Amino acid sequence: MEIIAKLDKVSYIYENCQDLVLKNISLDIYKGEFLGIIGPTGAGKTTLSLVLNGIVPQFYGGRFFGYAEVAGLDTLTNPVSKLSRYVGAVFEDPETQLLATSVENEIAFTLENLCLPREEILARIARALAAVRLEGMEKKQPNELSGGQKQRLAIASALALQPALLILDEPTSQLDPVGSQEVFATVKELNRILGMTIVMVSHAAEEMAQQADRLAILEAGAISALGSPNQIYSQIEQLERASLRAPQVAKTFWAINSRGIALEKIPVTLETGLAILPSLTSYYHRPVWQDPPSINSNILLKAENLSYTHSNGTEALKNISLDICSGEYLLIIGQNGAGKTTLVKHFLKLLSPTKGSVSLKGISLENLSTSELALSIGYVAQNPDNQIFNSTVEKEVSFALTNLGYPAKEIKEKTCQSLESMGLLEARNLHPLSLSKGDRARVVIAAILSMDPEIIIFDEPTTGQDYQGAKAILEMTRQLHQMGKTVIVITHHLYLMPEYAQRVVVMGQARILLDAPIRQAYHESEILAKTYLVPPQEVLLAQELARLSGIPSPLLTSAEIAASFDL
Amino acid sequence: MYNSLWQATQKNSLISWLDFRSKLVMVIVITLIAFTWESPITSGILTILVALACLFSGIKLNYLATILKFMLPFYLFLLLTMGFFNVEQVKVLTNKSELTALLSIKGFNLTLEGILYGLSVIFKTLTMILVIPLGIFTTDLNQMIVGLTKIKVPYKIVFIFSSTLRLFPLLAQELEGIIDAQKLRGLSIEKMGLLRKARVYAAIAIPLILNAMVKSQKMEIVLQTKAFSGDNNRTYLSESKLSEIDYAFIIFFIVLLIVVLVLYVVFGVGKFWWLLK
Repeated sequence: MEIIAKLDKVSYIYENCQDLVLKNISLDIYKGEFLGIIGPTGAGKTTLSLVLNGIVPQFYGGRFFGYAEVAGLDTLTNPVSKLSRYVGAVFEDPETQLLATSVENEIAFTLENLCLPREEILARIARALAAVRLEGMEKKQPNELSGGQKQRLAIASALALQPALLILDEPTSQLDPVGSQEVFATVKELNRILGMTIVMVSHAAEEMAQQADRLAILEAGAISALGSPNQIYSQIEQLERASLRAPQVAKTFWAINSRGIALEKIPVTLETGLAILPSLTSYYHRPVWQDPPSINSNILLKAENLSYTHSNGTEALKNISLDICSGEYLLIIGQNGAGKTTLVKHFLKLLSPTKGSVSLKGISLENLSTSELALSIGYVAQNPDNQIFNSTVEKEVSFALTNLGYPAKEIKEKTCQSLESMGLLEARNLHPLSLSKGDRARVVIAAILSMDPEIIIFDEPTTGQDYQGAKAILEMTRQLHQMGKTVIVITHHLYLMPEYAQRVVVMGQARILLDAPIRQAYHESEILAKTYLVPPQEVLLAQELARLSGIPSPLLTSAEIAASFDL
Repeated sequence: MYNSLWQATQKNSLISWLDFRSKLVMVIVITLIAFTWESPITSGILTILVALACLFSGIKLNYLATILKFMLPFYLFLLLTMGFFNVEQVKVLTNKSELTALLSIKGFNLTLEGILYGLSVIFKTLTMILVIPLGIFTTDLNQMIVGLTKIKVPYKIVFIFSSTLRLFPLLAQELEGIIDAQKLRGLSIEKMGLLRKARVYAAIAIPLILNAMVKSQKMEIVLQTKAFSGDNNRTYLSESKLSEIDYAFIIFFIVLLIVVLVLYVVFGVGKFWWLLK
């Protein structure tokens, strides 16, 4: 097979750093293949992809060892602008990679830099837009596009260069399930139909298992495993040791296998998993599960006939009525633009209803200010950095208490308690921004806890986190729930939530489509589909088991499914 | 809100069809006329005409109202200081030894002539403030980029200018988010005095600048992958051609400037005391 890119004993250290980010990496990338790169945060995945387009080391400096070439060009000696003709790149954040004010100008930008004639630019724009199915949107502004469309535009602008290799670094991590599906479908088409070589860094295990030809695991800067998705994702224990997540279907069948039911191989895609299930139904007995304790009926937050219309006339919320009770763990899900964040902003009085009302413990929010509400409701935003304003962790945590006029002694006590509960006592004198992203989120939570609110809202807490990071944050939410707090989580990562949430509110088209216990909500596939959500693979496997066995199987996790199998 | 203030208008008007270079001539000529005229009558008419042109070109009334709201305290201050204290300059301009007192407070007179001079300064500044969006907001950013490079402005400078226009709404959105986050930590900005407010805004600068730095570094990498070099010899998708209407527009404004200057010098049209004697 023809090699399109080659890394030979590549090692790299960033400027002013001492540790190697990449360690002796040798890798051949073949023409027309889809290579997936997986690994925990900090493993060097982004650095590796930046080596392929010469940005490392040409832009970052540092010390580079070994040899890397793409399309026969040495990435060390050929300028990035020349390499960019052969290597297209798409990054994680759709906002920072779109530079122009219209779709066509976005695609044209690189071609203009390469001094292509106008006629050629026009022809390439048409071809690139057709390849990502964005025809007819030439004159639209990028900020009018959805997240998935923005990433497809970023792909189109890379494609217009007609690159031999397309690198995508976490292109779906900030997208909702629909956007993510759009991007994977587009990349799949480019790879299978146009034969384009793809290198994709992603935590989306289910999609990578489906799409990639080969997977490389990167751990601490070195490749620890390289093989087909079947070879890589069926090694559940090895993945867990590397702090990685296997596709849910692989995890489920591995758990079944661990109960002594011998399987020829562990399936890694849903299709293969569903195909194996009929041969296992004889081992499937009455499903077992445990429901969470019943919810307290003491209403804390109440929204009545709540409607909200934006100044441009868009109806963001339509006639929402919702009761949230003390001590609940509530999950709010739905596609982008479904109204989730708009609803939560009404609870915080960051928005005021166009119609209807919201009350907290029977008191209308009309009579309370946002700063007064902060005593009862804490809010953790998606990006914790936007909630950090102080020079030390301790000052950050005591910030709210100072604002609220607490006496100095009480501020000290409450700050200490909050720091201790989040395990930050030793970091109290450090600058918050010197901590890891996970720890920065802990600082924000500690700051909110110091006010001792009854309700804590987490808005997309797991976005941009790897599996371990996401689990660590969700464990924190569990801890808070066990402390008696009412927890509200907004997320797109449905597969992470069965162990935590009790109740689910499904939003779509600015309305509540469903409000039910999680065990019921996750199995309402048709309602979820209305807001472009797909149940986790474990739920789909449970549904297939119910169909095959005729036994109702409202199961949610791989552990529950495996426990229902016996020799 | 910020987005709507800083984006090009969608309306198709005569001015939006023109080349950016023609609009640049218009902006320069109107600014020069505004500088030349001292009469509150001519300056006021010019301000009204520019404001009407803004509205007909699709610039939102909301935007004009925001500008007025923002400038109102300065203008009130200006009127009072001119009315009370700008005595000598106004005496020279009006050729009067005594000014018309409207009000007297502890020996200080609020004069009619001072107020009129203040009005003239207000109209001057308002015209200049309004004519810039009339030129910029009615132009597609890409047309503006090509137009500026055609008049030999280095591409790197044009790129910085266009990026600033594009990134402003993003930064403004972030600023709003940070202020909301502070409110959610018990900070009631609306109840604060000026000094405390200033301290709060200083604290906001930290996350804002850090986020901007992170964004700009990401953008730098993106620019690298898009073969950006800032070279003036790049090609452009957008075209910038002067049509017959453009030439007519440019000639009209140049003639207008000449006529205004002749009328001002020879007949005193637009001088401070014109029609008010």
